[in-house]
Amino acid sequence: MSRIIRNLGNWRLGRTNLENHVIDELLSGRLDRRSFLRHGSRVGLSLAVMAAALKTVGLDPITSARAQSGKPGGTMRIALIAPSGTIDPVTVADQYGLLVLQQVGDFLVMDGPDLVLQPMLATEWSPNEDGTVWTFKLRDDVKFHDGRAMTADDVVASIDRLADPENGSNALSAFKGVLSKGGTKKVDDHTVAFHLDAPNGNFPYYLSSDNYNAIILPADYSGGFEAQMNATGPFKLERYTPKVGATFVKNPDYWGGAPLLDRVEMSFYADQQPQVLALLGGQVDVVQQVTVQGSQSLFDNPAVKILELRSNAHRQIHMKTQSGPFADKRVRQAMALTLDRPRLIQGLFRGMADIGNDSPFAPVFPSTDPTVEQRAKNIKKAKQLMAEAGTTGFDTTFTTMSIQELPALASLIKNAAAEIGINVTLKIEDPGAYYGDAVPGKSDWLDSEFGMTDYGHRGIPNVFLTAPLKSDGTWNSANFQNAEYDQLVTDYVAALDLDAQKDAAGKIQRLLLDETPIIFPYFYNWLTATAPNVAGVQPTAMGQLFLQTATVG
Amino acid sequence: MSAAAGTAEESAAPPPPQKARSTPAILMRSPGFLVGAAIVLFWAFCAAFAPHFVPYDPLADDLLETLSPPSAAHWFGTDQIGRDVFSRVLVGARDILTIAPLATLLGTVLGTVVGLVMGYFGGWVDAIVGRLIEVMLSLPLIIVALMVLVALGPSTSTVIVVVGLVFTPLVARTVRAAVLSERHLDYVPAASLRGEGALHIMFVEILPNIWPPIIVEATVRLGYAIFTIASLSFLGFGVQPPSPDWGLAIAENYGVLVGGFWWTVVPATVATASLVVGVNLVAEGLQRALAE
Repeated sequence: MSRIIRNLGNWRLGRTNLENHVIDELLSGRLDRRSFLRHGSRVGLSLAVMAAALKTVGLDPITSARAQSGKPGGTMRIALIAPSGTIDPVTVADQYGLLVLQQVGDFLVMDGPDLVLQPMLATEWSPNEDGTVWTFKLRDDVKFHDGRAMTADDVVASIDRLADPENGSNALSAFKGVLSKGGTKKVDDHTVAFHLDAPNGNFPYYLSSDNYNAIILPADYSGGFEAQMNATGPFKLERYTPKVGATFVKNPDYWGGAPLLDRVEMSFYADQQPQVLALLGGQVDVVQQVTVQGSQSLFDNPAVKILELRSNAHRQIHMKTQSGPFADKRVRQAMALTLDRPRLIQGLFRGMADIGNDSPFAPVFPSTDPTVEQRAKNIKKAKQLMAEAGTTGFDTTFTTMSIQELPALASLIKNAAAEIGINVTLKIEDPGAYYGDAVPGKSDWLDSEFGMTDYGHRGIPNVFLTAPLKSDGTWNSANFQNAEYDQLVTDYVAALDLDAQKDAAGKIQRLLLDETPIIFPYFYNWLTATAPNVAGVQPTAMGQLFLQTATVG
Repeated sequence: MSAAAGTAEESAAPPPPQKARSTPAILMRSPGFLVGAAIVLFWAFCAAFAPHFVPYDPLADDLLETLSPPSAAHWFGTDQIGRDVFSRVLVGARDILTIAPLATLLGTVLGTVVGLVMGYFGGWVDAIVGRLIEVMLSLPLIIVALMVLVALGPSTSTVIVVVGLVFTPLVARTVRAAVLSERHLDYVPAASLRGEGALHIMFVEILPNIWPPIIVEATVRLGYAIFTIASLSFLGFGVQPPSPDWGLAIAENYGVLVGGFWWTVVPATVATASLVVGVNLVAEGLQRALAE
């Protein structure tokens, strides 16, 4: 033991205070295995150091996703819904297009299934003292599909392209207020420094697979990605036919070792049901995502494997806080108290979801403060709050989209609201009509008094905390205006240290629970379905499927 | 002249009462009509009174009883949020049997007016309106309805107006044909010579004589209206949740059909089909009876 401690002492040499702090937290028992891996990876501890530290305290070291059985070669057939627009790394905005991107491209960092960052094109990363500059070291053995070597110039150009407002980049929603054009600077051929707009303790997540546009392209990329899809990923494009599908062949020169599969075939579908039938009928091997609604035939079916990942994908039920019947926070609290969340999770998701507590801090985020009291159904208290707010009930319209379980949940909310005298009329639209032009005045999403929106999984809660909730947030459907909240979020985003993040998170959770601008009923799990002979597929809750070690048959 | 006009009117007037006397008797001997009428009356009764006698509140959810198969407690099982399918199917007749007849009525009234105008005036009025109708008929009905609903947003009244408007040219064409066969009969020129205006001739002289084809056309349209409205609901442009409307129920649950939960979809489908068949049997019976 003393030898191990001594070794650990040696590893500590040359580590930053921040890194050593994370190790101390583990040794003192204040971090569990998962939180340690996640925070260690965030501040740039290498996997080797983290494995050694875990061993020291008697926890399982890092298990590799590569430990798989299955024979190499063959073709894996993947079903997904057709991507909605052109496949361009700068503009792709849906979970289908990003799956195509990710087969041919790599990120600097991969956000793995446990929200633990793993090196990809970057080998290590570290912040300066206040978290305003993050420096990334790059691999020196990476080649693009066209044979050219990847260098810092390509990384600078790729990230700068995404941070440039002129390119209409989809990544701007993440980079806004974090990284501006020109903030990415080459240090040497294999080192890049990111000068941020404001301190940010979680910046590596912004360059990870979470920011699915951030695959590294050649510096001279100028559009027309669909023709070649020239990037650094494990598979090379063979053929892409919009609205039909895509085929890829393995990249024998991949820096991480050639993939085991020879080919990957993607078929695009219009809907979930035909994908489920194709899987059951043996026409495809993997369905990118299945939802509990519509895939019941896959569960408890021995001919299908379900890969289940906890995620923070969720639904936000917003109530206008500045005017109308929900302006009084007691009415909003009362509405939130009508929902029986454990039953919603059981009835709608067969239990495959985490309970929500009316803040974006999902149980999967390590910074979430678990000591905040969980809100539970309480009609008596809800009625009392309504009475205190001086109302016995009112009429309102609940607006949402006709996707997945949203219409069912809307009907359940209508019934729940009726218990405290709120008479809800439902308005269920297609997503295009709901989002409208996505600006106030021209969008039911942003204009509705009472409504529900779906939010996909993210590696960190930052976007959830800012866009829909900060006073100047661009997706602020609840019109929530709270200076104290805004300051707490700024503190949270800047916090480098886990204790400081947890502290800010707890304050945010309590404030949102009290104000209740948005009800977060649950965070549902990501489900991928595969045939039983498929192994080694590593999904992420963003929608990616890492297939480098995957096999079929 | 006035005597001639009187004779023309008299000679034209007697047939309808004769038919009216014989039609019910003919209908009562038609098994198809009787079966159809029984089906339609059954659903009309459900639409009016089902909420008072169904075993469960059709909107009440039960998240501990989702997707239960048919059983003694739930004769037709439960849907994805545990609502009783039997209760929902019976009460679900209400929306379709409100919207479809109103849409049909609107389409019939407008179509009759347009058809009368075309048939009576003929000439360039008939030519222009006729071409416009052909343009409208060349577009698939459901596509036209969808385009309008996308533009205006879905609501029950919009559906009624849209389906009514879409049916107008179809009814107008039938009415026009009926008018053409009437307008050269003596009573029309007679009324004209008597100095009656065009409106009077169309609505007071001709219209009472062309009721039979209009009634048949309206009944046929009602069958199509049920089908069209169910389709629109299925596509998400008709009735809004949580209504137990049949088209909506099929739309909400067809996704779980693959999972073997047939009872969430089949009752609403059978209900829609039975109502359409019932209305069509009635239409066919009427057509035969009126033709005799």
